[in-house]
Amino acid sequence: MVGLEAISAHNGWAMSVLGISIVFAGLLLLSFAVSQIHKALEFWDNCYQRIKKLRQGKNRQNAVTPDLTLPDDIKESARQFKLLIERIGEPFLLPKLLDFSEKRGLLHPHSSINNLLQVKLIIPDGTGHFLWNHEVERNIQKRSRV
Amino acid sequence: MENLLMEFLSNTGLALADYRNVIMILVGIVLIYLGIAKRYEPFLLVPIGFGILMGNIPVIKDFGIGIYEKGSFLSYMYYGVIHDIYPPLIFLGVGALTDFSAMLARPLLMLLGAAAQIGIFATFLGALALGFAPNEAASIGIIGGADGPTAIFLTAKLAPRLIGPIAIAAYSYMALVPVIQPPIMRLLTSRKERLIKMEEPRKVSKKEKLIFPIIGFLLCCFIVPGALPLLGMLFFGNLLKESIIVERLARAARSTIIDTVTILLGIAVGASTQGDVFLTGKSMGIFVLGAASFAVATASGVIFAKFMNLFLRQKINPLIGAAGVSAVPNSARVVQVVGQAEDPANFLLMHAMAPNISGVIGSAIAAAILWSFVSV
Repeated sequence: MVGLEAISAHNGWAMSVLGISIVFAGLLLLSFAVSQIHKALEFWDNCYQRIKKLRQGKNRQNAVTPDLTLPDDIKESARQFKLLIERIGEPFLLPKLLDFSEKRGLLHPHSSINNLLQVKLIIPDGTGHFLWNHEVERNIQKRSRV
Repeated sequence: MENLLMEFLSNTGLALADYRNVIMILVGIVLIYLGIAKRYEPFLLVPIGFGILMGNIPVIKDFGIGIYEKGSFLSYMYYGVIHDIYPPLIFLGVGALTDFSAMLARPLLMLLGAAAQIGIFATFLGALALGFAPNEAASIGIIGGADGPTAIFLTAKLAPRLIGPIAIAAYSYMALVPVIQPPIMRLLTSRKERLIKMEEPRKVSKKEKLIFPIIGFLLCCFIVPGALPLLGMLFFGNLLKESIIVERLARAARSTIIDTVTILLGIAVGASTQGDVFLTGKSMGIFVLGAASFAVATASGVIFAKFMNLFLRQKINPLIGAAGVSAVPNSARVVQVVGQAEDPANFLLMHAMAPNISGVIGSAIAAAILWSFVSV
């Protein structure tokens, strides 16, 4: 059997039309899925950033605000380190802060940073980085005025 | 002693050869010439050409040498062809070699890869009309996919006896992409269309490239499970490449594995074309239909690109539709050459890679569909 008769007898028309339709549908679906990947990733990244910011905010709020008066030498190093941190940008890594302070020639950077950690002027943000605790700073300033 | 000498002489290839072996040996030499001198797909044509020489040295029957004889060296090599071992391994290497960025940057171009598969189904109809059985017609149609491993994969399932002519036709036309496609591309496009410059594709992030093989695999194989061996390995190879962490495996897939399998596949396919099996009326029909399939696939891609331009604000250069046939990356290179012949400052290669790669996926899907339709 040959010709159009053979095509019809073997159901060729239906197979071809359905076949090419499935190929188109499959690749159309794949192209749609592919076109959404970068949007989904963008959305995910935005959500992640938002969660990170919220967590940072919470850490700031949860930071214990000890009510203490600082000796003058710690006050001075706090002022110097605050300027350094503003320069580095927040959040920052402790080794980076240490490195900066050594380069700037600050005295006893290890013990100064340790003091600032103890009085909670420098607090961890929960991701391995650290933040400057502005609330504790304000409290200390208020106490000094009193 | 005289008897022994006479017996030896009667068993030599010279005594056993007939004209069909001679013709096939000439074909083998032509393929080797095209591969080495003309550099048309040398990695395929040289092993296939030499395989044809090996397969057409006449040997005594039941001596355990011929490719169709049980236990022979060549029959073990051929085992990987008829049991669909080589094509998925080639796909693994292709996946590990391919950068899907162009396709991910502009997914709409994937439709051109689908359009080019019209050639497969048109040729399927043509083969049925010429009197081929549906399983043979499906195997012939897949030549239009311009994807040798896919053609072998489907033919091994549906018409194993036709593997030789179909594989030779598929690989020959893949090698002849630079000869077959340009006249069709020029015929179907105006100069103005060929001069269209396409906008720079957006930058694709590493995460996108990493996620794509998983999504692509799940989506395609849930829709057409028959494509699992081919697409599974293609996407797996790409995941190895993009994950970086398993670079050693990716390197093996894109070099050692694909090279080894190409040699085995080429020699086995070539050797399967013994004159008495290969030189039949059917083989000639397969070659004619294969060429038609390839031409229709190229034309379908170009025409569909023109059709898309009716609706797109940012026009695409219709030449890239020709890259929908999945001869990676040859057809994309042809698009670049034809485009630059009109305007040397027009760089279409990157854009053409998108339909080219989606053509690979499309032809694997088409093969799986034909397999499921015809084997029911």
